[in-house]
Amino acid sequence: MWNPGGWKSLLTFIVLALAWLAGFSSRLFAVIRFESIIHEFDPWFNYRSTHYMVERGFYNFLNWFDERAWYPLGRIVGGTVYPGLMVTSGAIHWVLHALNIPLHIRDICVFLAPIFSGMTALAVYFFTKEIWSQGAGLFAACFIAIVPGYISRSVAGSYDNEGIAIFALMFTYYLWIKAVKTGQVYWGICTALSYFYMVSAWGGYVFIINLIPLHVFVLLLMGRFSQRIFTAYTSFYIVGLILSMQVPFVGFQPIRTSEHMAAAGVFALLNAYAFLRYMQTFLSKAEFRYFFILAVAIAAGAVFLAVVVLTWAGYIAPWSGRYYSLWDTGYAKIHIPIIASVSEHQPTTWVSFFFDLHILICAFPAGVWYCIKNINDERVFVVLYAIFASYFAGVMVRLMLTLTPVVCVLAAIAFSKTFEIYLKDDTPKSQQKNSEEGSESRNDRLYDKVGKTKKVKEDKPKEEEGLGMNIKSIIVIALLMMLMLFAVHCTWVTSSAYSSPSIVLASYGQGGSRTILDDFREAYYWLRQNTDDKARVMSWWDYGYQIAGMGNRTTLVDNNTWNNSHIALVGKAMSSNESAAYEIMRMLDVDYVLVIFGGVIGYSGDDINKFLWMVRIAEGEHPKDIRESDYFTPQGEFRVDSSGSSTLLNCLMYKLSYYRFGQLQLDFRSPAGFDRTRGVEIGNKNFDLTHLEEAYTTEHWLVRIYRVKDLSNRQMVIKPKKPVKRPKRKSSKKVKRAGTIKQKPKIIKGKKSTAKKSTK
Amino acid sequence: MAWRQVAGLLLVVAVCNIASAGKRTLVLVDNWSIRESHSIFFRNLRDAGFELTFKTADDAGLALIKYGEFLYDNLVIFSPSVEEFGGNVDVPAITNFIDGGGNVLVAASSDIGDPLRELATECGVEFDEEKTAVIDHLNYDVSDQGKHTLIVADPANLIDAPMIVGKKGKSPFLFRGVGMVSDPENPLVLNILRASSTAYSHNPVEKIEEFPHAVGTNTLLIGALQARNNARVVFVGSLDFFSDEFFQSPVQNANKGDRFPVSGNQELALNLARWVFHQKGVLRVGKVSHHLKGEKEPGPAYIINQDIDYSIEIEELVNGEWRPFEGSDVQLEFVRIDPFIRTTLKRKDGKFYTSFTLPDVYGVFQFRVDYNRVGYTHLFSTTQVSVWPLQHTQYERFIPSAYPYYASAFSMMAGVVLLSFVFLHFREEPKEKKE
Repeated sequence: MWNPGGWKSLLTFIVLALAWLAGFSSRLFAVIRFESIIHEFDPWFNYRSTHYMVERGFYNFLNWFDERAWYPLGRIVGGTVYPGLMVTSGAIHWVLHALNIPLHIRDICVFLAPIFSGMTALAVYFFTKEIWSQGAGLFAACFIAIVPGYISRSVAGSYDNEGIAIFALMFTYYLWIKAVKTGQVYWGICTALSYFYMVSAWGGYVFIINLIPLHVFVLLLMGRFSQRIFTAYTSFYIVGLILSMQVPFVGFQPIRTSEHMAAAGVFALLNAYAFLRYMQTFLSKAEFRYFFILAVAIAAGAVFLAVVVLTWAGYIAPWSGRYYSLWDTGYAKIHIPIIASVSEHQPTTWVSFFFDLHILICAFPAGVWYCIKNINDERVFVVLYAIFASYFAGVMVRLMLTLTPVVCVLAAIAFSKTFEIYLKDDTPKSQQKNSEEGSESRNDRLYDKVGKTKKVKEDKPKEEEGLGMNIKSIIVIALLMMLMLFAVHCTWVTSSAYSSPSIVLASYGQGGSRTILDDFREAYYWLRQNTDDKARVMSWWDYGYQIAGMGNRTTLVDNNTWNNSHIALVGKAMSSNESAAYEIMRMLDVDYVLVIFGGVIGYSGDDINKFLWMVRIAEGEHPKDIRESDYFTPQGEFRVDSSGSSTLLNCLMYKLSYYRFGQLQLDFRSPAGFDRTRGVEIGNKNFDLTHLEEAYTTEHWLVRIYRVKDLSNRQMVIKPKKPVKRPKRKSSKKVKRAGTIKQKPKIIKGKKSTAKKSTK
Repeated sequence: MAWRQVAGLLLVVAVCNIASAGKRTLVLVDNWSIRESHSIFFRNLRDAGFELTFKTADDAGLALIKYGEFLYDNLVIFSPSVEEFGGNVDVPAITNFIDGGGNVLVAASSDIGDPLRELATECGVEFDEEKTAVIDHLNYDVSDQGKHTLIVADPANLIDAPMIVGKKGKSPFLFRGVGMVSDPENPLVLNILRASSTAYSHNPVEKIEEFPHAVGTNTLLIGALQARNNARVVFVGSLDFFSDEFFQSPVQNANKGDRFPVSGNQELALNLARWVFHQKGVLRVGKVSHHLKGEKEPGPAYIINQDIDYSIEIEELVNGEWRPFEGSDVQLEFVRIDPFIRTTLKRKDGKFYTSFTLPDVYGVFQFRVDYNRVGYTHLFSTTQVSVWPLQHTQYERFIPSAYPYYASAFSMMAGVVLLSFVFLHFREEPKEKKE
């Protein structure tokens, strides 16, 4: 009756299912607090294109030319998008409808990321199981399910590429480890297929196609070459290369750009190495040593030289700006302000490491150390992954996402190993896992798992005797406390930091009452209902996807920042004075201008705070017309109060943000025109707009929409040499009054009338 | 039945409106004697089909608009000395009338009052002040009283636009009144008649102490505005210009030249009136069509490098009827921020057409016909179309440079088959494995 294997798999299953469930439910804060809604910026585009694909079919989506974006350039959506996300949710939608479950595509989009987080947990479990042990795998699965670093990109409604890409990433790595371990072509091909899914889902696939060759290369350097690695890598690389080129957006990049050259180089090197190993069988040892070193050096040199020459000749594109900024953190700020302007491209602060990973970041180096201590082929991989991911995560906030899984894996190894030591029962036959009915799922998992891992590893006895029972239990309890704190921290971070849809804002009153600020949707709905279908809306690029998704109107620039000069043109319009801006707007056929203004409610992410980036981007393309220094005070400050620079106080963005704001007194303590975001009274209060008129301002003034007027019907004489002295007319229009004529011939009239009378 | 009657009544009203469209004219005068002293001009207007309504400018019942509808199509202001209009009319009401599409003919004189000056300023023309006059000591008429304000304007100083001023005659024009200047930067104002280079504008009885308001050919005798909504406004500095006396009097420059039996005033005045009241030089756009060559209807969008046909119908108002326009210089632009194609359209009975190949650039384009000629209303037609890149099925297949790759693919397949055949049927001596 007693079947330990059966119990083990049942427990594993339960733990994984609970991890999935916990991961799924902790991502639902936003849905419960607000509603089932798509969040932020990029998800709106993904949703819009998914909707398009579901309605018109895949081929129409592939050929979709979006004439409502980037007016008048248009955007080839099918060729500039990673379609994996849309295809995934489209497929789910199709399957559900085939089963007669009529679910709206929006709900699928909203809940896709939470569902995939469970699959990520599974992938991480398998990965860790291959690297270390099953127990560590369960730890890792539980960690990845709730760790904030991953939740930040996968809450319900955050319908973005990263949501499914992390699953694809970890699953590819798992399959790669499997391929390296077994040396079978089968697993190599599976890796390639999973890699193909990753390529179709996220631009971060470049991380895979550089990390796996690096793994192979390091193994070669360590002298760990084997037939298994050769089989795994060659089968993966060739099939993966061909598959990845099927994605329209990727196209010929894998053979034409520098980012992909490492993989090709390692492929060539590996083949050369294998060939030499083959040669070895024909040569004597002494001959071979000499020959071998020379040949390897020549092969490596030739590969490197070939890449350099091809790059120089223009067959291979050099590194793109985004990759330079990975190595030189100051690069983007100087050369590509548009990349630097995105908040998620900023360097990571130390705080956010702890904020996103909590205790795991502390346990992570221990995991690395354990791996190095017991090194083998696949642990080389995980160590490399750890090193590079931590570097990249330090450079860019958004790459924290790629670091998170490996941190979970290595921390799980560290915890598993520690528990293994301290929970080890000296008496071999002790109580089996009876604590399953524990209150919190996490804790029973820990106990059970450790019991199991001990069993698995029983054949490798450790020399950790001599510690007393008390010390062991104290340490175990301390560790459990830490894990509990981790769970609490994760829930808190998820609920407070990562569960805001950012298109609906909530503010809390003193009594804890909640106020919903729904200005964004109000404004977009206004646009949708009150403007012409073909109306062109100019705004800063952040809001392009939302205007297209919610307002269904043509935009000039959006979050797909592919054309820097077009964005610079919009930036120039925003930072010029009104008449110069009017010329640009006429040229671009702009009908409406939309600005975000937070001065009334103290919303800090508004356009005035982003304004310097607009100026910088505009200056990059139009250095003659726009200079950043003009927008600062002589002391080098950026201020909107009366001491601010006059260029700033008269530019279009300032005027559109603060139009009529000078008349608004928010409360009795502050003067009229007091900007709550900047905390100052604005400098230029009374001005009129000549070429624009206010069309709509939302309830909290968060979104302001202006209509661009036509050219005036007549053109007045602006400065008459002899101005007309306008008399003040007091008479109101309603009263019928007689006019006055200077030479009113009263005499004649009188004469006539008297004459008439006399004749009568 | 009631419905029918109402509908019928509405129809009748509508028909009446069409018949009288552009004809209802209000004439504001200083005093009724102007009706007599300018009778030839008014008779000419009546002969041209205008319905004239005379009112004094200070009439308390004056109104241009009633219940949101304009009561008149055209306005003639022959009351230079008005200081305040009567009724609901004031300068904003008149500019509103212009912005609503109404046409205005203004005649001023040296007694010009503030409202007219203000109205002119609103329209981009500036009159000189009250009591000033255009003075020319070299070109004045023999019948001048000694102040040299009855000047003789040479037809050579007339704008070169037959559509506005008719055929240029030989007879000079008699002019006595106030001068104007216009901003040369203003694209909407037309300088119809300039004074000669020896003229200036000043009060004839005062000493000249400061630089005159207008000097030489800058002095404008007749100016016009064609607003962006095609409403037309003409300012004439002299009310006497339209008088029977000037129409009929002979002209002779006191200092030089021939004696003309009759001045050119009448012809110019009538031409001006017909132009300003939209009887001449009015264009409209009819049907615009574009489609692929060989097809009839446009699809949802075009693909780059396709051949397409474009045609536009343009009509001109001639003697109250819409006739096919006979211009030969209408151009089409295919614009995406900048024009990618600019071509002159060919004409065939009122239909202007062309066919061209789309540029190798995708985006949102506009067919744009922007026909702006002096004397004609501004004709502007824009049609937006999308030009898509190639669809995934439209790329070229079997390009020559790909043949080496096809060959390599097939040779690879053959090689695999061969190799597997050899592998399966070749027995090797048993050998120890390396790994």
